[in-house]
Formats: sequence, C-alpha cells, structure tokens
Amino acid sequence: MTAGSRLRDDPALAVSVAVLWLLLGLFVVYPLAMLFARVFWDQSGFTLAGIATVLTDRHQIRAFYNSLLLALLVGVIGTLLGFLFAFTATRCRLPRLLVSAIDVAVLLPLVSPPFTTAIGWIFSFGPRGLITNGLLGIKGVSVYGLWSTLGAEALTYFPIAYLALRPILAAIDSNIEGMAQSLGATRWRVFRTVTLPLSVPGLANAFLLLFAASLADFATPLILAGNQFPVLPTQAYLQITGLFDFRGGAVLSFTLLVPALIVFVLQRYWVGQRHYVTVTGKGAGQVPFDSVAPGMRWLLVAACVAVTVFIAYLYALLLYASLVVALGANHAFTLQHYKVIFTEGLKPIRDTLFIAAFATPLGGIYGVLLGYLVARKLFPGRRTMELVSMINYALPGTIVGIAYLIAFNDPPLVLTGTALLIVACYVFRYGPTGIRTTIALLQQIDKSLEEASQGLGAGTGTTFRRVTLPLIMPAFFAGLGVVFIRSMTAISATIFLVSIGWTLITVKILENITELALGPAAAFSVLVVVIVFVVIAAIGRVLRLLRAPGAPVTSFLGA
Amino acid sequence: MSTPIAVRVDRVSKRFLHRVKGTVYAARDVALDVQPGEFLTLLGPSGCGKTTTLRMIAGFEHPDEGRIIFGDQDVTRVPANRRGIGFVFQNYALFPHLTVFENVAYGLRVRGQSGPEIARAVGDVLALVGLAGYDHQFPAQMSGGEQQRVALARAIVIRPRVLLFDEPLSNLDAKLRVQMRSEIRDLQRRLAITTIYVTHDQEEAMAVSDRIAVMNQGSIVQLGSAEDLYHRPASLFVAQFIGRVNLIAGRLTSKAGDGVVVAALGTSFALADAPAGVVPGTDVRLLLRPEAVSVTRDPAASGALRASVTGRTFLGEKVEYLLECAGEALQVVQSSADAADVIAVGDSVGLRIGERALVILRDD
Repeated sequence: MTAGSRLRDDPALAVSVAVLWLLLGLFVVYPLAMLFARVFWDQSGFTLAGIATVLTDRHQIRAFYNSLLLALLVGVIGTLLGFLFAFTATRCRLPRLLVSAIDVAVLLPLVSPPFTTAIGWIFSFGPRGLITNGLLGIKGVSVYGLWSTLGAEALTYFPIAYLALRPILAAIDSNIEGMAQSLGATRWRVFRTVTLPLSVPGLANAFLLLFAASLADFATPLILAGNQFPVLPTQAYLQITGLFDFRGGAVLSFTLLVPALIVFVLQRYWVGQRHYVTVTGKGAGQVPFDSVAPGMRWLLVAACVAVTVFIAYLYALLLYASLVVALGANHAFTLQHYKVIFTEGLKPIRDTLFIAAFATPLGGIYGVLLGYLVARKLFPGRRTMELVSMINYALPGTIVGIAYLIAFNDPPLVLTGTALLIVACYVFRYGPTGIRTTIALLQQIDKSLEEASQGLGAGTGTTFRRVTLPLIMPAFFAGLGVVFIRSMTAISATIFLVSIGWTLITVKILENITELALGPAAAFSVLVVVIVFVVIAAIGRVLRLLRAPGAPVTSFLGA
Repeated sequence: MSTPIAVRVDRVSKRFLHRVKGTVYAARDVALDVQPGEFLTLLGPSGCGKTTTLRMIAGFEHPDEGRIIFGDQDVTRVPANRRGIGFVFQNYALFPHLTVFENVAYGLRVRGQSGPEIARAVGDVLALVGLAGYDHQFPAQMSGGEQQRVALARAIVIRPRVLLFDEPLSNLDAKLRVQMRSEIRDLQRRLAITTIYVTHDQEEAMAVSDRIAVMNQGSIVQLGSAEDLYHRPASLFVAQFIGRVNLIAGRLTSKAGDGVVVAALGTSFALADAPAGVVPGTDVRLLLRPEAVSVTRDPAASGALRASVTGRTFLGEKVEYLLECAGEALQVVQSSADAADVIAVGDSVGLRIGERALVILRDD
C-alpha cells in the first residue's frame, strides 16, 4: 500500500495533515520567507546590498564576532560545569538529599525568566553590588561586558549540559570501568581512557546545545553586555525598536541564522545520532565501580555544592531584593514592590496568564498530534513535516520574532499586536518539545501493542483512543509543561510582538530594569518562578498518577 | 465431500525492495491447508519467511499475490480486526496501562459484551491459565511466564477462529519454556482451536505440533509430521535443521526389487527404498542420525564395523562420541546408561548401523 493511497483511504488522516500543513505554512514557512524577502529583495529586485551593509559595518562585524566568542566560551564553560555535576551525581554516591538539592538548584535557572540570573548578578557585582561594593568595598566597578554576560549565561545554561550528560554517564556500564581497573589501570587512567572517551559524543552534544542557547540568548546580553560588548540579537532588537529599521533588523537576524542553523544541523544529524551504546547482557544490579578516590570525591562534591550554593544565593537575593526598599541602599522590609506589581503591573500578569492559558493546551495538542502522525502514519511528506515543525524551535527567538513582525505587520495578514500572534508564536516555537517527546515515546512503544488491539477486533479509532492515547499522555503533559513554562518566561521572540493591547511579564521586567526599578523587577521574577514551580509540581503529580506501575518514567523536562 | 479446511494459505507471496539485493521475497508461493483443530507449526531459521506468513494470516501484512481463506471466507482483504484471530506476540504486547483483567477484557469490550458476561469470561479464562486472582495486577509487576499466560488468556478469551503464535516462548528461560509449551499444547487440545505457531526451535516444534511446515528462504520446503521430517527429510536442509545428522558418501551398486544396495563405510547396505531415477553406479549421499548407531566395546563383534574413537563428551544423560570409520568422521550419541563401561579416546570399537537408519538424500 503506498503512502498516497493511505491518505485517500483515511479521510481523518488527510484532513489532519492538510490542516497541519496549512498552519505550518502560515506560521513557520511564510514568516521566514518574508524575512528572506526583506533581506534579499528591495524595490529593484534581488539585492545583496542589505547583507553588504552588515559585512562592511565594523560595528556589526564586531557584534557577529562577539556573539560567536560568547557562544564558544559559554559552550566550553557550561559543558565543563555540566560534566562536573553529571559526573559527581553519577559517580560519587551522594546522599539522596544532596542529589535532590542539586536537582532543584539546577532546575531553577531552566524555569526562570531568562534574565533572573542577570538581575542577581547586578545585585551582587554591580556598582552597589552586595559582593563588589558591600563585601569587598570596591567603588565604581563596571559590571557590564563579556565576563559578566559569560558568567550569567554559563550559570543559566549549564543545566542543559547536565541534563544531557547525566544519562550518558549513568549508562556507561560500570563493569567496563571495573574491567579496566582489573587490568591494572589507575582510577585516573580509567577516567582518561574509558569514561571520558565514552562521553565524547555526549560532550559534543552538550557543547552544541549550549552554543546554540548562548547564540540565541537575548535577555542576558541586553542587561549585562553593555555598550562595549554588542552581540547580534541585541543589535537586531535595537535596530528595530530604536531605529525602526526593519530591514536592518532582518539582515542582522539573518546573519545570526547561519551559525544557528549550522549548529542545529550538527547537533541533530551528526552528534545527536552518535552515541556509544554499551551493549551488555545483564547489567542490572551491578556493584558500582569505585571510580573516585575519597579525596577527589570531596573535591568534586565541594565544587558542586559551591556552584549550587551560589545559584541558591542568587535566587535568595532576588527574593530579598523584592522585599526591601532598595537593595544596596535601604534594607528596610517592605511589601511595596508586590503592591506595585499587583496594581500597576496587573495587566501584564493578566495578559501573560491569558496567553499561556490558550497557548498551553493548543501547544500540547499540536505536539501530540503532529508527533503521532509523523511517528505512526504513512503519508507523503511526513519527514518534511517533521523538519519544518522543528524550524521555529531551532531558530533563535530574535529571528522568529522579527520574521513574525515583518510577516504579519502588513496585509494580507495583519496580526501584529494581537494575542493570537503571541499564542501562535508560542505554539509553533515550543510545541516541538511535545513533538519530540511524543515521537520518542512512540518509538519505545512497540507497534505490536497496536497490532494486538487490532487483532482483538478494535478498529483504528478504538485502538488510538484506548491504547495509543493513554500511552502518549505523558508526552502530552510534558508538552503542556514546556509550553506553559516558556509562555511565562520567554522574551526573545515575543518582545517584538507585544503591543499596548497585549504585553507580558517578562517585557515588563525588562522595562523595570531599564528604568532601574529593580525592586518591582525582582518581585515580578519571584512571582513567575513561584507560578512556574507550582505548575511543574502539579504536572509532575498528574504524570505520576498517569503512570501505570512499572511503566517507564518520563521526565517532562526531557532534555 | 472433501475434508473441511480451517485456514487455507493459497499461493501467497510477499515481496519487498532491498537496497542492495533488489526485489526480495519474504514469502514466495506459500501454500498451506490447516485442518480444524489442528496445531500446525511454521519452523525455520530467522529470515525464512515464517513470521511474514503468520502476519499475513493475521492481517497485519498484506500479500502481493495469493489469498488467505478462513473456512469458506476469503479474508485476504479483510482487516485484522475483523478476522476473528487470537494473536500471541513474541514480546506479549500487553497493554502496560491496563490491569490484567482489563487486558484480557479488551477484546470482549471491543465486541460490546455486557459487564457481567465479561467478568465471567475473564474469570474463567484466567482460571484456565492459572492466573485466578491476578485481576488487578499490572503487566510490569508480573514475571515473564505470567505475562505469557496473560497474553494467552487475552488471545483465547475472544474464542478466535484461529489462534496464532509468533515465537511466544523465546523470551522465557529454558525450564519455563518446556513447561509453557506443554501447557499451550494441552490448552489447544482442550479448546480444539485451530492453531498456527511460529518458532525457530525444532524441539519446541516437534513437542507441540500435529504437523510442521519447514520454511527456508520464503518457501515451504517440507510439510509433515515430526516423525516424517525427522526420519524422511526431503532435503539436506531439513535433515540438518531438524536434529543432527552425519552425511556419508556412498555408491549405489545394484537394484533389487523396490530396494537398492549401497556401498558405504567399507561395506554394503541393503536399503528398502530409494528415490526414483537413481541408477546403479551413481554416487549418493546417505543420512545417518547420530543416535541410530550403537557402539560396542568389541571391535570384532559379528556384523559390526570397526571404528576408532577420536573424541568423547560426557553430557549427563548422554555421551557424544566422534568416531572414525572407513575414512568417514561420524558423530554418535549413546545413552550414558548404555555406556556404563567407559569408552575412551583412542579405543577401537565396533559399530552397528541398522539398515533402516540410512536414508538416501534426494538432491536439493
């Protein structure tokens, strides 16, 4: 039976595929095409003039260079930190409590608005910073520039490396390490010749993920990079909001697109597929190899605890700053900042929650539906559909935001400033997590389950409803979780899409910071972190309830 | 009137396109008639097409040519869910999100049966497979053998027209495998369900089946009872696949009535039957099962062939010898009870080969 005839025989499938293509065309392909058009066409036709202006402007070339330098450094340092944590967590036999503490601290940066670390950084190392000024008494220090941006981004993004590396280190059969030791190798030698080589694909993967995250990061450099260290995403933003130069913004974001796509393709199709599967007959219940000397163990644990404590300190500082009049000047307790955000700041809170309330279920359904169709149904172009669905997810938010702005600002489709556009942006940018989770889950679920149902007399509909759907529910909730978290915390794309009618908490936080109203900014950030944690806890509970005993556990952050 | 047929596989073929080899037949011209209540096994090495054939009978795959017929109904175009089959998968394919009760009840619910009916039927069938009281367990909480029983219960509770097994025992350990295969056989006899069973394990096939179809490279190479296949293999492939075999070079010296005389192992044997068209003077290959030879300590015993022992392996219930006789290397198996007086490597011994033990191999 050919793929085409499947489509003719199954009208429900045909309709779903058609609707999904229509939406993907409208919200993924069309904006990107408009961005390209804006970069390469003007009144006189095809032109490279736009690209040429950037390539000849020393300031913009510096921004390009800075972006790559920053991404490289964040990639290296973040991967090292991630490996340190992953290695310690899997090899040092930590007490459970310590592991949970580390997990929470590591989770915090992942679920916070992207500039919370940056705010904490200013509170600590700024001109009136608790550490630079208060503790060390240094006056007139400049916090802005490469090192601060690097520090804040490394702390914000190293959890990605940790989540990517931990399962890989855990999957290395400790018997292999034990074997090397029994052949006479010292612990260091085992690490160097066995553990490390087996982690190389994981390390490369983590590096690329961090490189991409840093390249795309908009909020941290906007706050911490300052004038002396321009990077592409902030330059593109300033070009549009400061100079109303759409074309310049489009061109700058286009120069960002090239390295971003290279990294994405490398990560997914080269490194992502390479992992050493250590095939073992019966590996379970093995005695862990004693891979770390006692002294080294203390050193590793101390390093992890130090980083964890520093992250905890940054968040505690944020909470503290939200509860005092002015951090660094007047430490009298006050609820004034919360009063401000719940009166003047109520609109962005309401708007954000309203938009999240629509984007979340839509993104969840979109992820499960597209993932299911791609993983289980045969129809023409399903590989292409999967690839296209990943585009908005893979691109830096700045590009997506500018593309949406350009595409939906003029007829035929004027959607700029509407909640609909922001919702669409979230659905197609963060729904892909649900797609990946659904596909991954369906790959683990043997097709024979569906055949068993069919063999027992159930038709396609019944089989989907009674067997497939319950089994992919965890992916649905994972998708919901991610879309919700991002709806609460994202800024890089949607900062281009807010309007007087619809605004977001994250944008409001940014405004507060630029107005130096750090108290309300801190209060907003605390609010977002609390909301996100409550929702994560709720979804985690639902997932546990859904899980049949013994069924595979799925982490819904599922890196 | 001819004998009724429960399942007819009518010259069925299934092709696929291989990147290197081009068009490859997963099944080629497979033809089978299964009698009502019969237990028929498709036996063969991996890749021989047995699972493809079974999945076409189930309706999970569709033949490129040929028909599948259940009773007098052509089901070739009928989807799996309307064929009334019971299928037991190699990995059991139990629904992990449903309890044992709900797993077994699944097919009944799909058929719209009432609650009390379902409760009674599921209770009965769980008792039948020895799982009474396991209703509320989840599959993941059960052992492999128990999961296997649930899969079996789920397949038979719907009273299928045909029960299909795809290597159902290969995930169990050796002891449990032996126990489960006799349970499956007993249950099948008691319920008299027409059954088609796929395995690559010849011993399992012989233990459970009324008839066995040996498959190789997409085709059925021989179909018959276990005894037929073992004692009268149609080809070297079948002979080697089912049990172990010695291959001996011989020459047909004369014909005598229906029988022939063959020179081999330095002597001559009168064999009762020979393939048609073999004329005196032609070289033939003879099959000799290792256990069809008896070994005596006395090399000069009357009617015995002289051989020397080149290898010996003690395996508990039996002893395996490697012997050399008239330039041929022979594997011989003796019950260890018979071999009480020990024969050692280097000894000279006598061999007795019954004339019915030798079979002339037809050309493949």
